[in-house]
Amino acid sequence: MRFLTKRRVVILVVAAVVGFVVGRLALRAVGNLLLGGTLLGGDFL
Amino acid sequence: MTAEDKDARKARRAARRAERKARGTGKFVALTILVFILAAGVGVASKLLAKPDWAKRYSVEWSDAIGTKQTDLPYGDGPANKFDLYLPADASRDHYGLVVYLHPGGFTSGDKSGDAEMLQWLCSKGYVAAGINYTLFSEENPEANVLTQSEEIRDAMPHVVEAARAAGYDVDQMAVAGGSAGGCLALIYGYRDAATSPVPVRMVFEAVGPSSFYPEDWTCYGFDKPENIEAACGLFSTMCGATLTPDMLGTPAWDEATKPASALLWVTDQTVPTVMAYGKYDTMQPYLASVRLDAALTEHGVPHEYFVAEHSGHGLQNDGDVNRAYMEKVEEYLDRYLPVGE
Repeated sequence: MRFLTKRRVVILVVAAVVGFVVGRLALRAVGNLLLGGTLLGGDFL
Repeated sequence: MTAEDKDARKARRAARRAERKARGTGKFVALTILVFILAAGVGVASKLLAKPDWAKRYSVEWSDAIGTKQTDLPYGDGPANKFDLYLPADASRDHYGLVVYLHPGGFTSGDKSGDAEMLQWLCSKGYVAAGINYTLFSEENPEANVLTQSEEIRDAMPHVVEAARAAGYDVDQMAVAGGSAGGCLALIYGYRDAATSPVPVRMVFEAVGPSSFYPEDWTCYGFDKPENIEAACGLFSTMCGATLTPDMLGTPAWDEATKPASALLWVTDQTVPTVMAYGKYDTMQPYLASVRLDAALTEHGVPHEYFVAEHSGHGLQNDGDVNRAYMEKVEEYLDRYLPVGE
């Protein structure tokens, strides 16, 4: 039985994209906490 | 439920476990979590480290081909009374424009070395550039405040000009600039002290510098609420080196007491051209004060550009387009009001 099926690859790609976005959002949230600002709008994330 | 049913259920569970094991479900879940964490790390790093292409224009590889640097030149008796001078490699011109850039740090921290990138870029454009330290408010220096710091900057200018001239660079005009606390001090020098400057001040550029002390503007500290007026008076008294009381609010006495440290109150028809940028959600200094300053400059017909980062706070950190527009306008103003001579 294959470990990496097509469905699992899709799940991994989605996890990577979501992780990337969450990482950037988290840093933006920290910056906003310190300096002020909105979570969305302006620069990409 | 009969014993046979129970046995059948157990058998099904065992079969499912065996199937999951065969497919490596547990390992896949762990791999997914790992990928998520790594991607989040890459996301954080990409935001922290990646510099936008436009910003690279304002960063130079410092070398003798661009200029030389003189460090910690004294201008007063205090240990902080030092400045750095960045002298362009081309020393052949008859006259030079000076650009002084004042460091940020909330009037309590920071150092001229933190602005090396900006000063190097200005030098690469052909200006004599200077970063000036000033005495910071601290336990050791409880008497330091915006007023005393602005006076130190004022007193430093003749020394900066003289040092440039001594090095063979005849400075005949200048601009003053800064960020945050440095922006505040730049505005004060440009608006309050221009008339006594050793060389004519042609323009100011600054970002997120507080320019006035009206409690209703300082919503970021809650000073717009009546119950916090005493606190506002306390902080502003410390910052301005004056005694402010609630009963002075709304009277000429308030403006009189805060004027020496309020750039806004020095705006006239003769005020120098200004480029400024502010964050709408600033939690460290009052965005509304910048609205007031913009209105005053407009009312007096002062050439100026006012950039608002609509999604950012004190770092203008969420609006790259606004940062870019601000820097492009700074360049445009420098070319127009402080042109590099032949």
